[in-house]
Amino acid sequence: MNAVEIQGMAKSFNGTAVLDEINFKVRKGEIFGYLGPNGSGKTTTMRIMLGLLKPTSGKALINGKEPDDSNSDLRSRIGVLLENNGLYERLSAYQNLLYYARLYGVPESDRVEKIERLLEFAGLSDRRNEKTGRFSTGMKRKLGLARAMIHDPEILFLDEPTSGLDPESRIVVRDLILRLSEDEGMTVFLNTHDLSEVEKVCSNAAILEGGRIRACDTIVGLRKSHDKPVLEITLVDTGYAERTLDLLTSQDCAYDCERDDRRVTVTLNDESPSTVLAMLVTNGIAVEEVKNATKSLEAVYLDIVRRRGTTNE
Amino acid sequence: MNKLFIVAVKEMNGIIRTRSQMLVGIFFALWFSVMTAPVITTVEESLVFDQFNNLLLYFVLMLGIFTAYLFSGKVFFDEKREGIIETLLCTPLSLRQIWAGKVLGVTIPAYLIALLAAALITVIANIFAASILLPSPAVFLHIFLVVPAFIAVAVGLLGFGHLLLGMRENQILNISIFVAIFLAFSLANNNVISGGYAVSGVMVGGMLIVAVLLLALISYLTRYLSKERIVTTIS
Repeated sequence: MNAVEIQGMAKSFNGTAVLDEINFKVRKGEIFGYLGPNGSGKTTTMRIMLGLLKPTSGKALINGKEPDDSNSDLRSRIGVLLENNGLYERLSAYQNLLYYARLYGVPESDRVEKIERLLEFAGLSDRRNEKTGRFSTGMKRKLGLARAMIHDPEILFLDEPTSGLDPESRIVVRDLILRLSEDEGMTVFLNTHDLSEVEKVCSNAAILEGGRIRACDTIVGLRKSHDKPVLEITLVDTGYAERTLDLLTSQDCAYDCERDDRRVTVTLNDESPSTVLAMLVTNGIAVEEVKNATKSLEAVYLDIVRRRGTTNE
Repeated sequence: MNKLFIVAVKEMNGIIRTRSQMLVGIFFALWFSVMTAPVITTVEESLVFDQFNNLLLYFVLMLGIFTAYLFSGKVFFDEKREGIIETLLCTPLSLRQIWAGKVLGVTIPAYLIALLAAALITVIANIFAASILLPSPAVFLHIFLVVPAFIAVAVGLLGFGHLLLGMRENQILNISIFVAIFLAFSLANNNVISGGYAVSGVMVGGMLIVAVLLLALISYLTRYLSKERIVTTIS
């Protein structure tokens, strides 16, 4: 059984379609990245999966069950970190965790040990009795993540978990997400637009744009699915590099052209790499090396989003 | 512990530990007691007992409802405005458990303030009275049953409104209720101070029945609350 299964899901608000024909599956123990620009429908999808919204059509199954209000057992197996950290600013870090531990029915004998462990993870052991209203954004985010894990959920839904965190804390959170999946078999659904985060921790990802899934595959598959060849051309000097850039863009045979000193990286339109190389040589450009490069997830993502943007225009 | 009580205890502790909120409640209890209790000196000796009971009947109830209004904002409105409610809705609690827990959590401290007002009115009235004044059995019943029931009704309705309505509508609701409570206070003030009548057991019983019916009605109305409605009216 899949941890999450979305079947032909659509959602409209007052007749305006926000999500359309969403289909994807998340296997148990997988870290799944849900990517998309702001307003693409990521949060709406997550809210439907959490039972906060009802789909207009289709369904969302979590552990094979629909997350409706009557399904409290299902909700007790899910951990959630939304945009709001779900923390009460007048309560201390310890009191916040204790409150949620009680709500989730964490056995009394385990509560203190779990809270201590999570406070340590969040780096807040020394400030456990301080009201969370005094915490920085990053501290609140880490405590929010600790709160989401207080009951050892089977599935963790995280909405931009590293937003507001400093680079060091981002690494800590990423490592933790990886550990949760690898060591404890926890399924993690990661709503984000941080592509490097997805590349580092996720095994699979879906790219959502304009309320539709534009791509859904493994991270490697997503990179490969981008069928346009990417060339990394190293020129003899920077002058040649600039001429190469001008030539390729003026001939409209490449896009996403970038130059870094003597190196030019381009995504080809319809030309083959040999045609491009021949064109450079014909124009007297001294090429030192040509390599096939792999598209980063970022490039794939931007390509999908931009292509859609152009289509919409 | 039942999850409803976990919410109730948390909300109750939150209100009691918020010094500013409790001080405002205590201030109003003191203010209305000091302003109303000396009224017994303005009536004939034979009417003092009835006047005293009238004061307790009206002002303890009104103050309880007013305090409930003051406390409900933090518990329902702020939680929704800040978006914490969304996380709470993802916990194993049902929407009705959350609502009921919060209603209970606000009703108890608001009722404590109402009890304080009852005690203060009694103490101050006795300072001015020629003989010892104690509430009649009907008023005792009123204070111990009708007042908490009406406070629960007020909190339940306010909570229902806060969860159902959008932020702007909630602000309008808050102002409207504030105005309505003050109008009710001034109306009660005119009626009670201008001459009272004996508080009967039938009257109190009738009020209790109304309160219970209202509670049942509000409890029924919460069926119309949905998570979707709450989430889509957050911003």
